Amino acid sequence: MIRVEQLIAQRGSFTLGPIDIDLGNSSYLTILGPSGSGKTLFLETCMGLLSPQQGQVWLDGQEVTRIAPEHRLISYLPQDLALFPHLSVRDNILFGAKRRQLDRTQVEKRLNELLELLELREVIDRKDVSTLSGGEKQRVALARALLPEPRLLFLDEPFSALDATIKRQLQVKLREINQQLGVTILHVTHDQEEAFMLGEQIAVMIRGQFRQVGDRDDIYYRPATLDVARFLRNQNIFDLIVENVLPDGTLQLGNRIGITAPGYAGAERGQRLAVGIRSEEVMVIRPNKPIGPELQDNLFQATVEDILVFGGTHTLCVKLRDSNITVDVELPNCAMRDLGYDIGDDLQVCLRKRSLWTIPMSCDPSTKENVHADL
Amino acid sequence: MLPRDTAFKLSMLLPLVLLSAYFLLLLGSQSAFFKAEGFIDQISRADILSAIALSLISATVSSAIAVCIAIPSAYALARIDFPGKRLIDTFIDLPMVLTPIALGTLILMTWNTAIGRLLSELGLTLPFTLAGVILAQFTVVVAISVRMLKSTFEQINPRQEQVARLLGCSAFDSFLLITLPLAKRGILAAIILTWARAVGEFGATVMVAGTAKGQTATLPSSIYLAMSMADLPQAVTLIVILIGISLLVLFGVRLVMERKS
Repeated sequence: MIRVEQLIAQRGSFTLGPIDIDLGNSSYLTILGPSGSGKTLFLETCMGLLSPQQGQVWLDGQEVTRIAPEHRLISYLPQDLALFPHLSVRDNILFGAKRRQLDRTQVEKRLNELLELLELREVIDRKDVSTLSGGEKQRVALARALLPEPRLLFLDEPFSALDATIKRQLQVKLREINQQLGVTILHVTHDQEEAFMLGEQIAVMIRGQFRQVGDRDDIYYRPATLDVARFLRNQNIFDLIVENVLPDGTLQLGNRIGITAPGYAGAERGQRLAVGIRSEEVMVIRPNKPIGPELQDNLFQATVEDILVFGGTHTLCVKLRDSNITVDVELPNCAMRDLGYDIGDDLQVCLRKRSLWTIPMSCDPSTKENVHADL
Repeated sequence: MLPRDTAFKLSMLLPLVLLSAYFLLLLGSQSAFFKAEGFIDQISRADILSAIALSLISATVSSAIAVCIAIPSAYALARIDFPGKRLIDTFIDLPMVLTPIALGTLILMTWNTAIGRLLSELGLTLPFTLAGVILAQFTVVVAISVRMLKSTFEQINPRQEQVARLLGCSAFDSFLLITLPLAKRGILAAIILTWARAVGEFGATVMVAGTAKGQTATLPSSIYLAMSMADLPQAVTLIVILIGISLLVLFGVRLVMERKS
């Protein structure tokens, strides 16, 4: 469907790329990254609104790098929706169909489908788009983008201005659209929940480059670079050195703290690693409870230093007794109520081996920039 | 209301009241010389009717040309990046800071160059011609038009044009179907203000086209002529006509602006 090869684009002093990606029909890719990482610039370059300095864009096997945006059959839903205020709701939705001179009967049929799917029947005859609510505007813009049956739909943070309830409804709707209409979607967002809920594949863009492209679990549990790990709110990251590689590949790591971690190809003694674990993966061992075999490694005595309360979870900041290293432990409210911990309490935590990720420092592009000093 | 709030409002209102009083004084001072019974006779005179007609025609043509050139120029300045953009943007403002007499002089001197002589040979002569009046007014007002329209285009969200492109519009279609309709009120306001400035233009017009009665004497230059001959009643009549036209135009601008907001 869409293939991007070695794409490089420039805006001011910011450079995007080089970027390579290949997406099949009906797929859903979310591009996740912090503000200013180049996500919108990437979309603009793929859409032909900005000429790349280098590289190629292919759509359905045809090279479109130098083809005008109107001939690419890509629809675009920008963050601010860009509804046309001088046109009625109906004219907004039908704009693309009229410009492309699509068959009237087909357009009517498609319009009816979309009005049904997006629940727009009540507002279709409104003359003034400014009278629509935020959610209605979003759905009208989505209908306008979908009506000409685009090959690809590009979404640029489309729900960032909506409240949580409407946002969730539209996210569900978007998944339906992807599945029912078979439209390939590239969805840019900085909202991690949204990216993980919608994206079959997720690309993490940092400083103009895709640092990692993979499925949900890859991105969530196995960050490829340290800046991806940090962006995905991995709080517990340790700077460790490989002390021993056991015959089964397991690594014994040390440096202020001793940890056993899963091995990886090419692991060698003396190698420096960034090792991390998500705070919700850190286990709190209940006193006097038997410990299963997979929790035998990486057990630490600790003391609660601080407790941060969020909506549905608590984060315990615990200091490991022998190393003075602080680890964040996330507990759901119900578990926290059962355990009843308070600041100063002692507890035992386990950095479960299979939940640990490792990144060799020598292989990480982001470590060359700023990581050593931070760890 | 707090005393401080009242003091603040008064400090803002006082200059406004003083300014209004000053303008009323300017208008009221004419009343001693204004004779209502002679007004109809005055405006039926051929030279005054000619001045009114010339002012209306030349201002309409010059402002129409100015806006037609200003729309693409302003769009280019607002949307397209090109080398030397800042320089050109500053350069375009030059007629707004130069006195109209200096501009008129520049036009006359240009007509003494090879290009000017060629244009004269092709029939575009300036002294004592309508073309001279129009060119002088155009030169003075075009910068105002560019400046107003640039600001109008800058206020239009470029994403709307981009979305239109992706929905099947060429760059030109997107300009015609999205940008121009969205700029409609700004363009209308630019037309009105440009026209008002052209109607009142004096310095450049006199320098380039002179003030021949019935030929190139516009309303402002006729006022000057009347004053130079100490014909106060005629000068006041012309001023009243000019004020009438200007008030109508400014009222129109206000209406447009209010609807825009």
